[in-house]
Amino acid sequence: MRTGEAAKEMTVKPGGAVRALLDNRRVLGWGSIVLVLLVWELVARISGVSALYLPRPSQILVTLISMFSGGGLALDLGVTLWRIFAGFAIALVAGTLLGLWIATSWRIQAVADMFIAALYPLPKVTLIPLLIIWLGTGGPFMLSISFLGAIFPIVINTVLGVSQCDPGLVLAARDLGATPQQIMRRVLLPSAIPSIFAGIRLGLGVSIILVVAAEMVVGKVGLGARLYLAGQILETEQVFAVLIVLAALGIIVTKAQDAIDASLGNWRID
Amino acid sequence: MPAVAIEFDDIGLTFAAASRAPTVALDAVTCRFESGKVTALIGPSGCGKSTLLQIARGFLDPTQGRLRFVEGAGGNTFRPAMSTVWQAFNLFPWLTVIENVAFGLDLAGVPRAEREERARRAIAAVDLTGFEDRYPRQLSGGMRQRVGIARALVMEPEVLLLDEPFGALDAQTRLVLQEQLARLVETSGTTAILVTHSIEEAILLADTILVMTARPGRVAARIDVDLPRPRSIATTRDPGFSALFDRIYELLRDEVMRAMVVGGGDN
Repeated sequence: MRTGEAAKEMTVKPGGAVRALLDNRRVLGWGSIVLVLLVWELVARISGVSALYLPRPSQILVTLISMFSGGGLALDLGVTLWRIFAGFAIALVAGTLLGLWIATSWRIQAVADMFIAALYPLPKVTLIPLLIIWLGTGGPFMLSISFLGAIFPIVINTVLGVSQCDPGLVLAARDLGATPQQIMRRVLLPSAIPSIFAGIRLGLGVSIILVVAAEMVVGKVGLGARLYLAGQILETEQVFAVLIVLAALGIIVTKAQDAIDASLGNWRID
Repeated sequence: MPAVAIEFDDIGLTFAAASRAPTVALDAVTCRFESGKVTALIGPSGCGKSTLLQIARGFLDPTQGRLRFVEGAGGNTFRPAMSTVWQAFNLFPWLTVIENVAFGLDLAGVPRAEREERARRAIAAVDLTGFEDRYPRQLSGGMRQRVGIARALVMEPEVLLLDEPFGALDAQTRLVLQEQLARLVETSGTTAILVTHSIEEAILLADTILVMTARPGRVAARIDVDLPRPRSIATTRDPGFSALFDRIYELLRDEVMRAMVVGGGDN
């Protein structure tokens, strides 16, 4: 309907095509990014500011391509992704199970409440020194830091989702002969799924932050390590190139989660 | 299917409260739900009708008295298979119509082909063929409750519990569903207990009506409905219907007044 109207407008008066483009969310979002890059390019060229401080987007793009083709940036990206998602995956499984357990047993809840209250507000970066003492700086350390970033939001949101489950649904399942295990798996878990995904969204964001921060402190490979190294040797173009990779990662993760959220509509009754 | 009668023998339920006097929800209820018949429970809000249903279902334990299940000529038996139709429908929003209807069969481990076939038959019995793959949120209230009825009947219960099944529906939808449910219960031959606020609904659906007192709930009167079946909206113009209606209304009015004076109301 809306596109139909836009098309009609286009034929009626000139400038209608521009108006139609400005009514498109996608065009507005991507267009504004392109616009900012263009202005940046122009300002950097005209003002003649040193590339040491503000390299031009075109220079950054060239650097980015060369870093990928011969500079091993693909490996850094792969290592960082592996660290983020391996720890996150463990946190997702463990956090969901733990959340279900906490939500369905008041004793576990009483115990867990204290630990969550103590540990959740603690900035997880403050755990980096202790984790290095315990685990060194290798794979187990990176896995733990990613895990710690994601587990709290996932547990908390799972508990929230399960405890908000309509008691009528639990009664209906019992009436149809569900065992406590079946109620947990077939009723409580699915009804908590929108909430669990909200936890995933928060948790994955924290995992990304923590892994990159940890790589900056102790990493030898990975995007964070690459970023820190480039900064040390004043390779500003490389700094920007890594930042662009991180921003792209952020966009992909966010958009993927939006798509998943949209497909969860069936979980909501009205 | 052998139907089972339920006998309440001096059943009482008292909720103990730490800070105030204990609440007597049910007080010495003795009654019988005949096998293969529809028995309606009618009474003022808060009289414990739904509580009685929960006790029959086994979700609540009475604090006094005994519950007996009687099969055939009079032998005691185990708790029969029961299914409930809920006022709030309680459909699983993440499952389609057919998945909702087949849910209980799936839990019981019925093979996929068989449970789909049985679910389809139950869906057809409530006139929802063609809506198998819709989600509950895509259906009207009346259609949702037909899914609820199909979900209960597909389990082939020996006892069907109807907890104000049409309480959340508009008047026109109620009428249509009452007729439909009356037919379904009749053909299934199951024992049914209907909790309702509606005198009309009780008369249209029930063989026997138990009128309950305000809290603490007791059975004040037992009224047999001997109007011919099948009953429909036309039945409401029968002189016998009016006589029954007036009689139940008289009984209820006093209890409703009493409930209003005493206060309370549980839903």
